[in-house]
Amino acid sequence: MATKPRLMRDVLIQEIYTRAGKDPNVLFMSADLGAEALDAFRADLPKQFIHPGICEQNMIDVAAGLSASGKTVFTYAMASFITARCYEQLKVALGAMRQPVAVVSVGVGLGYDDAGPTHYTTEDIACLRALPGVEVWTPCDEESTLEITRECLDRPAFRYLRLERPALPKIYDSNFRAAMSAGYCEVARGNDLVILSSGFMLHRALEVREQLRVEGIEAAVVDLFRIKPLASRNLTTYLEHFSHVITLEEQCLAGGFGSAVSEAMADTGLSRPLLRLGLPDRYFFENGGRKHVLENCGLGVSSISQRITEFLSPMARRRSSMPSVPSQTSF
Amino acid sequence: MPRKASTESQSSRDARSGVPDIELLLEKSHWLRRELFQMVSTTRKGHIPSCYSCNELLVSLFYGGVLRYRKGQPEDSSRDRIIVSKGHAAMALYPILADIGYIPTQELTEFTKKDALLRMYADPSIPGVDAISGSLGHGLGIAAGMAFAARSDGRSQRAFVILGDSECYEGSVWESAFFASHQGLDNLVAIVDRNGLAIMGRTEELMRLGSLEEKFRSFGWEAVTVDGHSHSAILGALGRLGQTGGKPLALIANTVKGKGISYMEGRSEWHNKMPDAAQTAQAWKDLETNCISS
Repeated sequence: MATKPRLMRDVLIQEIYTRAGKDPNVLFMSADLGAEALDAFRADLPKQFIHPGICEQNMIDVAAGLSASGKTVFTYAMASFITARCYEQLKVALGAMRQPVAVVSVGVGLGYDDAGPTHYTTEDIACLRALPGVEVWTPCDEESTLEITRECLDRPAFRYLRLERPALPKIYDSNFRAAMSAGYCEVARGNDLVILSSGFMLHRALEVREQLRVEGIEAAVVDLFRIKPLASRNLTTYLEHFSHVITLEEQCLAGGFGSAVSEAMADTGLSRPLLRLGLPDRYFFENGGRKHVLENCGLGVSSISQRITEFLSPMARRRSSMPSVPSQTSF
Repeated sequence: MPRKASTESQSSRDARSGVPDIELLLEKSHWLRRELFQMVSTTRKGHIPSCYSCNELLVSLFYGGVLRYRKGQPEDSSRDRIIVSKGHAAMALYPILADIGYIPTQELTEFTKKDALLRMYADPSIPGVDAISGSLGHGLGIAAGMAFAARSDGRSQRAFVILGDSECYEGSVWESAFFASHQGLDNLVAIVDRNGLAIMGRTEELMRLGSLEEKFRSFGWEAVTVDGHSHSAILGALGRLGQTGGKPLALIANTVKGKGISYMEGRSEWHNKMPDAAQTAQAWKDLETNCISS
């Protein structure tokens, strides 16, 4: 029986803890978000743990000062508060001051089930990738979390790490390290189309792939775990092998994951029908949890499969080759 | 207008007696005001009144034996940190940085010119500048991080921040004030340039700041109010550094925005206004005499 996957935050903090035990310059700041592994860190390395208050702005400014003094700093909080709440600090104190601090968020997308718009983080990719000099990484399992953490320890940089709140099943064995420099990895083969995703939605993409197979459609699935910097040229050379490209994200579509892919395609001159699947442009108040909200937004496995099938249909193909006409009037 | 030659740059605190050389500080104050007016009047960029309210604060820190630094060695990581968090006045550092050999003196005439080193708002790409400025409310937190790092390394380095009083409207200032006090950062000094003016008028009329001394004290700081244009008062208060019983130190420096140019003093409309020819002549006339006497 497979062992139960560990939470990404525990994987990350455990690795930092191991390193911090040997290197007193490694510091961990949490704006009041806990983790099982953090309990041990705080107990054993109290001088290397800093609680900056529920003060995300202060946390980032202090982190910049610590980093400017030679410390390797991890800042950690719930996703919506360590991004939008302190966005200007990220821009000024880390970005413009070029401080190699790791910004670790937990519960991206709709990860905080039932919590509503204050806790959902459906804009963090759009916000963070707009900042010059930041790297944006989304792990999808234990192995990818571990290797990204090691990268932060070995080569500190201004990085934004997007962790899932629940534990996710294994995708990678020991092969993530080899894929890291590319920024993306094909995790399932297929010739008819390609689905690009990351994190929580990557797992959903794999489920969609299974459903499409039943219908005789072979979809490749790509884990695009580093959305910034995007290896545009390599990525679009790879995408050229497919007739259709689909992006799948748990973000509002404006400026997010799919936007980055579409920009890469436009910038490198790759013309393919592109279907961007993500959340609609609204706030999410409905009860029923993550699964239900996704269903409501047409992002259930069956809905996604159906939308992809329609997208592949000859009529949709014709539509995609037409000049931009609102979809409601094109039928 | 001709530049007055700067006096020999040195710490004015006599090594043997520990007594600050007030005459030298007065001279430096006068010199800095003239240097800054020269920069602003030739390039027509910058914020003179904001610089003039913290003129004596910077002169006391750099020439009053407070900041520990080595001339000509900005890269020395052990030197004390100084952040002018009210970024519109960070340019007041530039003549001093030239005077202590951190940047070439000729850069002063290039202030804000195409591709030149010295920008309107300072940032660490300029030797001797320890943090970026221009957005209010960052400097105290960054300095707190530096003070924390120094203490955790067992280094004697201190971090000084000059805040605008209107900057204290920013909530992040108080987040960091909480933090510094809780962490017992007695190697951190916040100096509030209490000139009483924001861009749109008087702070007490726009949104009352009240007693910043009481506010910092209630956050667990050692806090004292001083005449921010008196070197002896500033240095006297900074003498408490290291004797605060583990508390960070806040100086509320009562100042006059535009101090030294008659028509700018206490007038918020001069925040970023440029004098015309007649006003420029009047300013040079005003600057012929030193407005500081203690």
